[in-house]
Amino acid sequence: MAEVVQSELSCPACGGQRHFDPAAGLLSCDSCGATEDLSSPWDGAAQQEHPVHGNTVPATERPAQSADTADVTHVQCQACGSQLTFVGLSLSERCGYCDGPVVRKDPDPTYAPMALIPFAIAQDAARLAQDQWIASRLFAPRDLPERVAEGTTRALYVPFWTIDAQEATTYWAKKTVRSGKNTRVENISGEQVFTFDDLLMPASPLVTPLIRDGILHEFEPARLRPYTAGYIAGFAAEQHAQTLADGLAANRKDRRLLIRNRIRKKYGWSGVHSITFNTDTSGVHYRRILLPVWITHYKDGRGVASKVVTCGIHGRTYGERPFSRRKVLAASMAVVVATVLFGLIWGAGAAL
Amino acid sequence: MVVSPLPILLCLPLVVISALIGMPMVKKLVQIREARHELKRNSTSYIMGVAGWSVIAFWLMATWFFATILGDWAATDDAAGAVDRSFTRLWVLLQIAAEVAAND
Repeated sequence: MAEVVQSELSCPACGGQRHFDPAAGLLSCDSCGATEDLSSPWDGAAQQEHPVHGNTVPATERPAQSADTADVTHVQCQACGSQLTFVGLSLSERCGYCDGPVVRKDPDPTYAPMALIPFAIAQDAARLAQDQWIASRLFAPRDLPERVAEGTTRALYVPFWTIDAQEATTYWAKKTVRSGKNTRVENISGEQVFTFDDLLMPASPLVTPLIRDGILHEFEPARLRPYTAGYIAGFAAEQHAQTLADGLAANRKDRRLLIRNRIRKKYGWSGVHSITFNTDTSGVHYRRILLPVWITHYKDGRGVASKVVTCGIHGRTYGERPFSRRKVLAASMAVVVATVLFGLIWGAGAAL
Repeated sequence: MVVSPLPILLCLPLVVISALIGMPMVKKLVQIREARHELKRNSTSYIMGVAGWSVIAFWLMATWFFATILGDWAATDDAAGAVDRSFTRLWVLLQIAAEVAAND
């Protein structure tokens, strides 16, 4: 039987169960409404980044347990005595009988989250943002709002990495330059150090890189707080299943795309092609953090499982959406008819 | 102006085929719009989301090009002449396509 943090989460005034209230930013008692500020003088330490020396990833930077194994841990609710089951790398649940928040105590001490940003958006605000996002989808099936409304919304702390790196880059490229009827190809080469600061890398399949870029436009390290049970009380939370090496490898693909883009931008975008480069990576720092999201899972008209995700910090929403084939075909037909009419008139006039 | 019915009738398959081919283009157009308005600027998803817009331009240019041949044919009742005259347009379109591809 694993240990849980639960009595510490009880209200000191009435003994009631407490959960973190996103709107107030405080730990709040469900019974008497008493609140507690979880901030401490050590909050600033949560911003600390950890170095990776050379290419050596610390041996401790891997989970003791793999998400694939889907290990099951049984714990006992200290409030009602019923048995709960934690599956895989879950850190926090609510008791199915008394609805009390239950947080695992040090499930993997060497790999626990270093910090988190607490929820600041409540469920009502998140659902409203999701409804607005769904309503603004072009060419979506008519029944999409109803399907999303039928979906289940969960509050979840999702594991992320923040990664800093410097890439000393030597690059080669070609640029096609046109002047009048003449076209020439110029060879380009150069060296530059590209600096990346606090790149966010999701460490869970629940948040894809596309959704990350839709909901997390800014990352403010000052919002980070030390990982404590009080912040995740009442919310689901997932521990990192990914090793730091895997996180860095996934982030490296992102950095390569960004480097390619910055080289194109440096030479004016147009006509820049055949870009190749070598990089020497240094100054890698990371954090293993949890970020709050509201996820609504729904099934579209063809039964495909999809999700809409709202950032629990700022409320920005993005997700997976289906298209209505009929509406897309109608739009395509309208564009084609206009183009064909234009072409017919142009051809009949034989202007060119 | 002489109006031959055959080229006008051929507009129907052109519209149908081009509209079917255009369905992924319309989706891509929506995805580009969503990327430009909703994704973090210069993020990897933004870069991948807005890339590939040239295929929409190629689709519209190809549709327009075939329609101009049919329009010319309908007006002159001379299919071979319409095709011959289209080569100038094709050359200009290929120049534009190369420029579009270089900017995608």
